Amino acid sequence: MKSGTLELEGISRRFGQTVALDNLNLTIGAGELVALLGPSGCGKTTALRIVAGLERSDAGTVALKGRDVTNLSAHLRNMGMVFQSYSLFPNLSAVENVEFGLKMRKVERASRRKTALELLELVGLDTQSRRFPHQLSGGQQQRVALARALAIQPEVLLLDEPLSALDAQVRTNLREEIRRLQISLGTTTLFVTHDQEEAMAISDRVGVMSNGRLEQIDIPDILYNNPASTFVANFVGTMNHIPAIASEDAVDIFGKKIRIKNPDGKIGKVSALVRPESIEVSRVQGNGQAKIVTRSFLGASSQIVCQLPDGVIIQALMPSHASGELHPGEEVNLNISIHEVLISHV
Amino acid sequence: MAAMRSRFSFALPLTLAVASLFIFLPFGSSAEFSFRSYSQDGKLMHSFAPYRWIVEQPEFLSHLLLSLKIALFAVIFTAILVVPSVAWLHLKAQLFRPLVELITLLPLVIPVVALSIGVQTAFPDWLQSTEYELPLMYVILALPFTFRILDNGLQAIPLKTISEAARGLGANWFATIFYVIAPVMRRAVAGAFFLTFALSLGEFTLTSLLHWDTFPTWVTSVSQQNIIGAIALSVFSLTFAFLVVFFAGLSSSRSKKRMDATE
Repeated sequence: MKSGTLELEGISRRFGQTVALDNLNLTIGAGELVALLGPSGCGKTTALRIVAGLERSDAGTVALKGRDVTNLSAHLRNMGMVFQSYSLFPNLSAVENVEFGLKMRKVERASRRKTALELLELVGLDTQSRRFPHQLSGGQQQRVALARALAIQPEVLLLDEPLSALDAQVRTNLREEIRRLQISLGTTTLFVTHDQEEAMAISDRVGVMSNGRLEQIDIPDILYNNPASTFVANFVGTMNHIPAIASEDAVDIFGKKIRIKNPDGKIGKVSALVRPESIEVSRVQGNGQAKIVTRSFLGASSQIVCQLPDGVIIQALMPSHASGELHPGEEVNLNISIHEVLISHV
Repeated sequence: MAAMRSRFSFALPLTLAVASLFIFLPFGSSAEFSFRSYSQDGKLMHSFAPYRWIVEQPEFLSHLLLSLKIALFAVIFTAILVVPSVAWLHLKAQLFRPLVELITLLPLVIPVVALSIGVQTAFPDWLQSTEYELPLMYVILALPFTFRILDNGLQAIPLKTISEAARGLGANWFATIFYVIAPVMRRAVAGAFFLTFALSLGEFTLTSLLHWDTFPTWVTSVSQQNIIGAIALSVFSLTFAFLVVFFAGLSSSRSKKRMDATE
């Protein structure tokens, strides 16, 4: 396969006073799909645009297969890109759009038409090949854009929030399709998104960014279960902030001492960060630690929302069979089922 | 709902009828007047005599050709100066678009006398009183309209994104302009060209103030001695400009139709 590794080293970029990227280091292995995840303005799109050559960096290098392409013009980089907004050429039909990159590479007409039709078939649009962009739905347009990006057999596929403008159903389908194609073609891919579910669902590794820095990059499981910072913990998945008292290296939550994962020696009031599935809710007679507000049945599991006496809301996620007897208004005790916890100072 | 629909379907033809009266009544009357001639005994007749008279004037062709040449130059200057500027504004300088939009309104606000003197003084010496002076001024006069046509045309297209997409697919700047930017701007550009052309062909005030002798100023001077001939000239130039714009518009909408064609 043509795809190779992509290495970003020490990439920095400022826009006036704003630091968009601060010494970003990132390596994407051949055939790997890495997502950059973060809130808007965290620098993820700038990073992607620098890789594409559409934006210059103030410092650092971009290397492709070990070759420095930092100063290479965008049109010579051989990277396929799918944009957030619809970017099809409005004056060209679907198949002509897919052909465009091959036409620029002076591929002979019959052969590029054949390749383009094959790619349209791959994204399930072979019957729409002669339609113009304005005759296609949003999801279809992004499929054509994907086929167009893949037609040039790119060294790297760059996806800049390609799903954010689409309906929920189309989004889920298309992201699975992107992943399927990416795996079967073995294309090295950089995927930029602000949607953590999207990033976790289809990426080999996810990099969480904040203020131009890469906070943590790892496989989705580790990112979720073992976040390196409170920012990552809060950004990825649902997180409870439980008021607790910290001693030096442990914290007291609901009468149980739990080791602090990020101890800084401070003592006093803190928030303990606990995932809903790490909280067990059990009924008690008389006064409990919390009161149930609602129980939502989600299928295999149920979400139980409780309120502490001081008003703080806690979310718990339990297997439905174990939570069937919990009803709103009941007094309950809460048990933390993990042995180590991240804290943040309030 | 039904009542609303019937009222609506009635209002449209009525508006059209009133509007066409407004346009065609003066034009029709002028046309009728332009065919008038009088026999020896003072009897009114209709004939092609005034038009024969036009063609016999030695100044006719030279003035018409000068005006056509100036109009053509105005179109070329629009293509060189205005079209790339508006495209650049959309690609790289969105921030300044409202400001430029405001500035392009100035030719409508500033009296032509002030405009002609101001613009002429601003021109460098080697340009003043050459035949490029008028076309450049017409470009400025047409700016309130040409800017809006081009700007509206580009508003509908994410020009920045699609040119970036083209670059990413391996198109250099030339190919990006040739294969992407130019085709998507074609209709707006055609509109701007027609407008500049028509305006240039008919402009009188500024031309006269700058002591140029073009087709419209010649028509005015003809009217001093031969009013029917002058009207015939006006009818001729109106029809001529209309036909040019009509056929140009027809060919551009045909290419648009080809673009929209589906299986």
